[in-house]
Amino acid sequence: MAIRCPGLLAEGDRGDEVRAFLLVLRAAEQLCPWVTPARLGVCTLPARGPSRLLGGEPAVVDALAAEIASACPEVEVQIGVAPGLFGAQLAARVAAVVGDAELADFLAPWSIAVLGRAELATTLPRLGVRTLGELAALPARQVYERFGADALSCHRAASGQVGELPGLRDLAISARLATVAGVSRPSVLQPDFYGGADAAGERAAAAVTRLQGRFGPEAVAIARHRGARDPAARGRLVPFGSEEPLGEPGSGPWPGRLPAPSPTSVLERPRPAAVADVVGRPLAVGAEGLLDGVPDRCAVDGGPWRSVEEWGGPWPVLEHFWSTPRRRARLQLVLEGGVAILVCFEQGNWVLEAVYD
Amino acid sequence: MFASSPTPARPPLPAALAERVRPVATASSRLLPLAPALLPLFGGAGLQRGTTTCIAGPVGVGARTLALTMLSAASAAGHWCGVVGLADPGVSAMVELGLDLRRVVFVPSPGGRWSEAAAELFDGADLVLIRPAGPVAHGVARLLVSRARERRAALVVLTTDPARWPLGPERCLVVRSSSWVGVDRGHGHLAARRAEVEVLGRRGASRRERHQLWLPARAGQVLDAAG
Repeated sequence: MAIRCPGLLAEGDRGDEVRAFLLVLRAAEQLCPWVTPARLGVCTLPARGPSRLLGGEPAVVDALAAEIASACPEVEVQIGVAPGLFGAQLAARVAAVVGDAELADFLAPWSIAVLGRAELATTLPRLGVRTLGELAALPARQVYERFGADALSCHRAASGQVGELPGLRDLAISARLATVAGVSRPSVLQPDFYGGADAAGERAAAAVTRLQGRFGPEAVAIARHRGARDPAARGRLVPFGSEEPLGEPGSGPWPGRLPAPSPTSVLERPRPAAVADVVGRPLAVGAEGLLDGVPDRCAVDGGPWRSVEEWGGPWPVLEHFWSTPRRRARLQLVLEGGVAILVCFEQGNWVLEAVYD
Repeated sequence: MFASSPTPARPPLPAALAERVRPVATASSRLLPLAPALLPLFGGAGLQRGTTTCIAGPVGVGARTLALTMLSAASAAGHWCGVVGLADPGVSAMVELGLDLRRVVFVPSPGGRWSEAAAELFDGADLVLIRPAGPVAHGVARLLVSRARERRAALVVLTTDPARWPLGPERCLVVRSSSWVGVDRGHGHLAARRAEVEVLGRRGASRRERHQLWLPARAGQVLDAAG
């Protein structure tokens, strides 16, 4: 779901647009805490949860519109629903609710101008391609070979395969909003944070700049602990100098449900694992959150079985009431040799999530 | 400086607060601060600039915890730290260990160019933790050690096997054994890990120093477990 404020998309001299956008975000948050600014004037929020509560997406749209209108009556607001930010922004322009299956058809008639690519907007019409649907109809390979990688991203967005398009988001918007809101952002590096020259910080920043020059901007990272919204929220590495939007709460409030100490190795991509009892039967966690057997051995990524010496849990992972229901449960295992790991069970499968290294 | 849009101007901190948050690190000190629980493993002093410390142990028994703890007091005191080749670091764990994550720079996946990244970081950080993916070539190790000395930075090498670092470090800490308290068979949870850490001198000879540490203790920090 996207909320689009046509009057706030460009910033004037006085910063009024950012302040107004902040009010819109706060109003939307009354209905759903997981509002995410995408760029100035545009924000997204997950539609499924509130729509389950309110009885359908149109009801959510109405409720949001009412909430925002009462908080900031002078701001023009457009709201739309579609999978992915690219589609949702367009849906907002015409106040549409677009389901997953309808996305490609919804996108088709729009002009290629909405991609925001000046060169493609000049070249494609000469080849008879004027709409997203006509672009999507071209073979992807030809688009790539003729126009390059960015055009391929446009092709994917136009066909509804991918919901994001480079350039749609302004990564710095959260920092701008925080500044205007007067909220401190402890995890964001600001070289002038101490209000004056910090020689060590400047040396570090210079080394980072050189590193980024040689390894790419994504290669150097800083840790971000999302303490603000959820005290136990998962932390992650973010590229040095960027400010990422908080995004969807996909992984839930973890490791808050598990007490400290936290694991020192948290896998960005959990690996498939197997947990079995003494006769080799795979274990499962039932609907009531209990193991259906005694863990005796564990294997990760098709590797050798290692015997389980001790275990704790399982702990059901609690999701927010408005998110898509996922029944997950976590188990701590101590394997032979004293190796402590965290595995998670969901729909018949175990994955290795973390190692207490 | 590196953001894609102009950084907004920040109002200066109130003087009293500025005084409290100003880093107390000094470039002239010969020693970098260490967490109190680690001091006995370093002869009671801090971590000498220009030295190499090797931290070894099989995966999953606490060596990573020990290596990350090497950064806690230094980063908290205002020293910048770099971490190279350590993928998937646990952010909550690092916070619990006391690291000031505002001053820790990560290059988690440098691939084959990890030593290049480490060498670069010596220019910007006082402490660099590296986790080589495999055995380190002699020439590479020599280059890093001499760069660390020249830059007066401390090098910490995390490895599964001390033999992978071809030069004799000033100090090598090996996690020999560990056991968890708090879990049983289905009851409780991982509450604290008690580990035995052996300190090796040069050429791998044991100094016959074995220390008991909580790696970590209940709230996630590293503590002395002696007695």
